[in-house]
Amino acid sequence: MNANGGINGGQIKYDMLDDGWNPEQSSQDAAKLINDEKAVALVGNMSFVDCGANQGIYEKSDIMVVGGVGVPRDCYFQKNYVTTNAGPRVSNTKTLMYIAQQNPGKIKRFVCIAMNIPNVGEWSCEGAGGWIRSQGGESKVILFDPSSLDATSLVLQAMEFKPDVISIDLPKGLAVPLFAAAEEQGLIEKLHWMGPASLYNPTFPPAISKAWDGRVWVDMELNDAASTKPDNANWLAVMDKYATKDLPRDTFAQAGYLAARVVSETLLKMDPAKIDRASVTAALRGVKRFDSDMFCSPWYIGDEPRHNPNHNGPVSLVKDGKLKPLDVCIDSEDPELGDVHAYEKTIGITK
Amino acid sequence: MPSFAPFFVSGLATAATYVLAAVGIVVLYRASGVVNFAQGAVGALAAFISWTIVQHGGPDVVGWIAGVLAAVAFSLFYGRVLAPRLAYSDPVMRAVATLSFALILVGFIDYVWGELPRKLKLPTDTDGFEWLGVRVTYTRAVAMGIAVAATVAIMAFLAKSRIGLQMRALANNRDLSAMLGVRVLRADACAWAISGALAGVSGILLGDLQRLGGIALTFAVIPSIAAAVFGRFVSLPATVAGGLAIGVCEALLTPVPVIGPFRTALPFLFAVLAMLWMQRRAAYVYR
Repeated sequence: MNANGGINGGQIKYDMLDDGWNPEQSSQDAAKLINDEKAVALVGNMSFVDCGANQGIYEKSDIMVVGGVGVPRDCYFQKNYVTTNAGPRVSNTKTLMYIAQQNPGKIKRFVCIAMNIPNVGEWSCEGAGGWIRSQGGESKVILFDPSSLDATSLVLQAMEFKPDVISIDLPKGLAVPLFAAAEEQGLIEKLHWMGPASLYNPTFPPAISKAWDGRVWVDMELNDAASTKPDNANWLAVMDKYATKDLPRDTFAQAGYLAARVVSETLLKMDPAKIDRASVTAALRGVKRFDSDMFCSPWYIGDEPRHNPNHNGPVSLVKDGKLKPLDVCIDSEDPELGDVHAYEKTIGITK
Repeated sequence: MPSFAPFFVSGLATAATYVLAAVGIVVLYRASGVVNFAQGAVGALAAFISWTIVQHGGPDVVGWIAGVLAAVAFSLFYGRVLAPRLAYSDPVMRAVATLSFALILVGFIDYVWGELPRKLKLPTDTDGFEWLGVRVTYTRAVAMGIAVAATVAIMAFLAKSRIGLQMRALANNRDLSAMLGVRVLRADACAWAISGALAGVSGILLGDLQRLGGIALTFAVIPSIAAAVFGRFVSLPATVAGGLAIGVCEALLTPVPVIGPFRTALPFLFAVLAMLWMQRRAAYVYR
C-alpha cells in the first residue's frame, strides 16, 4: 500500500505486536495501539487471546478490528470484530458436510478430537456435531490437554464410539502424532479422516506417511492458495515482493491479505480530511459486500452484533504429498449460523 | 463401561520412556546430588539430530547413534563445565540451574528446527503384533525391552563395578569420598554420561512414539521426575515402578469421563502422594 502511495498520500503505519498468548499482554498491546498510537482501525489480528481479552476495549473505543485469523468463539461473537477466515467451527462443519455428500447415507457417527481450551476445543467441534445430529446422526467431542503425549490412547478412545468420520481438530504439529497412531493401529481405511484449515499447510502432507494418500480431507476456508486468479495472483505477488521465502503461502496468509484489502479499499473511498476512528468504523460497518476470487461467496461486515461472513468455502484432499484443492464450495449448515444467514438475506448476500 | 485393556497396552510404551529418563535422573542424583530438569531437553536434542540425519538421507543407525552421542556430549558438557561450579551451592539452586540449561536447549531447538510438523520414524514402526485388541509395533516392544535391560544393567553396574561403588560412595558423602581417594570428577562424569545416554534413547523413542516437538519432549521430563520422587531419588526398582504406574495410569484415565482431559496432572498427584507418604515417618518421629 505504502509503495503505491498509501491512502491518498497518507502512509499506513505497520506495527506487529506479539501478545505471547498472554491476555494481559494482549490488552496492553491493544491499549497501546488504540490510546497511544491513535489507531483508526486494527487489521490482520491473529491471536488466540486477543478476541476474548480485548472485546471490552474495542467496544468502548468503538474501533473496528478486521482480523486475519480468528480461532476462539469470542472472535465471532462481538460487534467490533470480524475476520476474513471462517474459523475452526465452520471449517469442521463444511468438511464433514462434504464427506457426507460424497458418501450418501453412510455418515452417521462423528468424533472430533480437540484441545481442552475454553471457547476453542468443544465450540470448534460442535458445529459439525450439531449438523450431523440434525441429520439423525450422533457425535462425540474428545478434549485433551495439549501437553499429553499418548496419541494412541486418544485414537483408541475415539474408536470406542465406532465413528464413520474422525476430525483431528488440532494445529498441525499436534495432529501429526494422532495420524501416526491411527496408522499404527491400522485404521486409515476403516473410516474417513478430516481436519480443519489449521492442517491446510504444505508441510502437513509430507509429515504424515504416504499411506494417507487420498484418505484425509482438509478444509481450506479460502480458495486455492496456488490459484492464478487476479486477487490470489496479487496476494502471491505481494508475498513474493515483501515477504521472505520461508513464510508459508497458506490460508492464514491469504486471510491477512484479504483483511488488508478490505480496509484499504474502504479507506481509499473516504475523504482523507475526514479519516478518524468514528468515520472509519462507520465506513467499515458499511461494507455490505466485498467480492474476491479468494472467497467462494461475497464477504461483508455490516452492523450486526456479531460477524461470521466467511462460511462458504472449498475443501482439499491429501494427494501425492500435497493438499489438492477440490473444485467445490461448501456452505456451512451449522445450526448456530441461523442469525448470520438471516442477516445476509436483509443485505442481499443470499436470497 | 469402556474396556481398559487397550489403554493399558497403549500406556506401557509411554511408561517405558518415562522409566528410561527417570533411571537416568536417579543415577545422576545418586552420584552428583543434582536433580536434572534438563533430561527431557537433552532427549529432545537427540531426537531432532536423529531426525535431521535420517531426513538428509543418512542411515537410520547413524542417526540414532549420533543422537545419543550428542545427548551424552551435551550432558557431559553441563556435568563437567557448569555443574562443578555449582557443586557447593544449595540443592535447589543446582536443580534450577539444570532448568535454565533446559530452557536454553529448548530455545536452541526452536531456533534451529522451529515448530513445523515432523515425524521421527523408526524401521520397527511398520511391523508388530496384536495384544488385547491393540496393535503393538516392535518400536513399543523395543522401548519396553530397553527400559528393562537398561535398569537391570545399571543396577548391576552400580552394585558390581568399581566406578559404580565410587558413585554410591559419592551419594553417601561427597567430601568423605574425596578424602578417601574417590576420583569425584571421573565418577561424576560417568553419571552425567549415563544420564545423557538414557535421555538420548528416551528422547528418540518418545519422538517416534509420540511427538517430535522441542517443548513437548522437554517437558516430558515431568512424569520422569515424578517417578524419581516415587523412588525417593534413591531406589531404582521403586523409580521403575513409579514410571510404569504413571504411564499406565495416565493411559487408563483416557476414557474416564470428566477426569480424562486432565490426566496430564497425574504425575503431580503421584509426586505429591509419594512425598506425603515419605513424610509419614518423619511426622511420627516428631510427635
